[in-house]
Amino acid sequence: MAATARIADGPALRPDDSAPAPKVPRQVTARGPWRTGLLLASPAIAVLALLFIAPLFMLVYNSFRTQAGDPTLRNYTRFLGDSFYRDVLWHTLWIGALTTLGCLVVGYPFAVYLRGRSPRARNYLSLVLLSPLLISMVTRAYGWLVLLGPKGPIADGFHAVGLEAPKMLYNDTAVVVGMVHVMLAYMVLPLMGSLDRIDPALTPAAKGLGASGWTCFWRITVPLSLPGMLAGSLIVFSLTVSSFVTPAILGGPTVKLMPYFVYTEATSNLNWPYAAAIGFVLIVVTTILTAVYARLLRGRGGKEVFA
Amino acid sequence: MNTAKATTASATNEAAGGAGDKPVAVGVGERARRLLGAAFAALVGLFLLAPVLVTIASSLTTTSYVTFPPKGLTLHWYAELLNRPEFLDSFLLSIGVAAGAAVVSTALGLAAGLAIHRYPFPGKSVLDRVFSSAFAVPTIVLGIGLLQWYAQLGMASSPLTLLLAHLVLTVPYTVRLVLAGLAGLDRSAELAAAGLGAKAPQVFWHVTLPAVRGPLIAGAFFALITSFDDLTIALFVVTTDMQTLPVRIFNYLQYNYDPTVTAVGTVMVLFAAVAVVIIERVVGVAHLFGADPER
Repeated sequence: MAATARIADGPALRPDDSAPAPKVPRQVTARGPWRTGLLLASPAIAVLALLFIAPLFMLVYNSFRTQAGDPTLRNYTRFLGDSFYRDVLWHTLWIGALTTLGCLVVGYPFAVYLRGRSPRARNYLSLVLLSPLLISMVTRAYGWLVLLGPKGPIADGFHAVGLEAPKMLYNDTAVVVGMVHVMLAYMVLPLMGSLDRIDPALTPAAKGLGASGWTCFWRITVPLSLPGMLAGSLIVFSLTVSSFVTPAILGGPTVKLMPYFVYTEATSNLNWPYAAAIGFVLIVVTTILTAVYARLLRGRGGKEVFA
Repeated sequence: MNTAKATTASATNEAAGGAGDKPVAVGVGERARRLLGAAFAALVGLFLLAPVLVTIASSLTTTSYVTFPPKGLTLHWYAELLNRPEFLDSFLLSIGVAAGAAVVSTALGLAAGLAIHRYPFPGKSVLDRVFSSAFAVPTIVLGIGLLQWYAQLGMASSPLTLLLAHLVLTVPYTVRLVLAGLAGLDRSAELAAAGLGAKAPQVFWHVTLPAVRGPLIAGAFFALITSFDDLTIALFVVTTDMQTLPVRIFNYLQYNYDPTVTAVGTVMVLFAAVAVVIIERVVGVAHLFGADPER
């Protein structure tokens, strides 16, 4: 976040400066000894090192071993050489892309709508927006199970107008609906930030020069909110391709996604090295994809939109 | 320039062929657009709230299966909960671990936030980088990594290992919140207090801490909810006789789906709602997830 962008502190107030002033405690000086910093940070560093870095190294190490513990590349050759698993990878990325698109389509107009509301209304709407993140995933997913089920209100709606209700459970539709529901906030909040930064005088100025409302929207609002779209899409995509609970409940075993296989290989088949390899492939692929995506769009989503 | 008097229903905003001389006015088109916007927002709101509403409603049904809209109203399923000690045990475990995770990650977040914000120390930028990348690693991958790591260390599953695992999910957030709070604190206030003779602990207590009080409380409750609701990590760390509430529900639902579960879900929703109201009162919920695209 903004941790790195710090205003340089003024002249360093060393304790032996300026005789009349009382001693300024070291704690408040800008250049406190680095030991203090290290001491303060050490518990957090320990947590990260022992519970985040170490398990990930363990994972990578195990992924290059057989179950007996001998070095091997077989876990990766098996994954990449099997069309079934390659399809699982593609399908995971596809669901991620669909969810991102869905969040943009639903979230962008919503963010634009929020922009024009009073602070109070915005606050309430933000609460509604965040509500899916604040209730238990399990509860959330089973709520959708009832809603999308063959006897649920949506199916009833189809029947009421004399239509055959489409199958909405245990398929991609269910997973994408459930994922868009969870991820919407991650898309809308960066978008709101981006929209808020747009100079409010721009649109009236353009209108004064004869631009229509649509022109203003497409030529001013959309280009200037690209950074928000970029940030939101990156977050939504990477969180979606690594989600396990919602797809597992709403998609069931028929929707085959990477996290599901990480789970089943580890718990049902007890093949830890292979589960580790799948997990590591997932990390590598999403990292590469998001890096490429950011690189491609960063140049266009910057401040030189009007160049 | 003619000022627009276009408020009659027939007037669309299109002045005939006039380029460059369009009245900037709130016409019917504008009003229609606003109405459309409100309708759209209401639909999105319904979409967002639907699963919760369905869960709450179906916990009140008199039928022995989950249905929406509920048939009749009863609190029978809440009474039923009392006959299921395993749910109560799981609830107590979840609450205990969540409270622990909240306290520990708040303390760690405050210390690390202060360190990153104001002290140069070796590895600081690396630490900052790791904190911001921690939530980019898929939780499921972290879960299986922890499973293998704990096995390697020979650590048996216990509430403590679960709490430690949850810290990875919560500490990055508390650090971020504290840093955001500190960014809004004017250093000169601290220097002034010190200049006026306040001792370091006094400066910390009266100047620094109030600036981050909001973020600390928000971070604590965020950690509480995150830990309480976590299923992905817990699935790997729990055992058959030590199950958190989400794991218990998840396993229960593999075999049966009766309104008991929606009653549990409703209790959890209420629990989260209380936490959210507190966060909202203190800092505003939106701050929790305020991802800044300009990073």
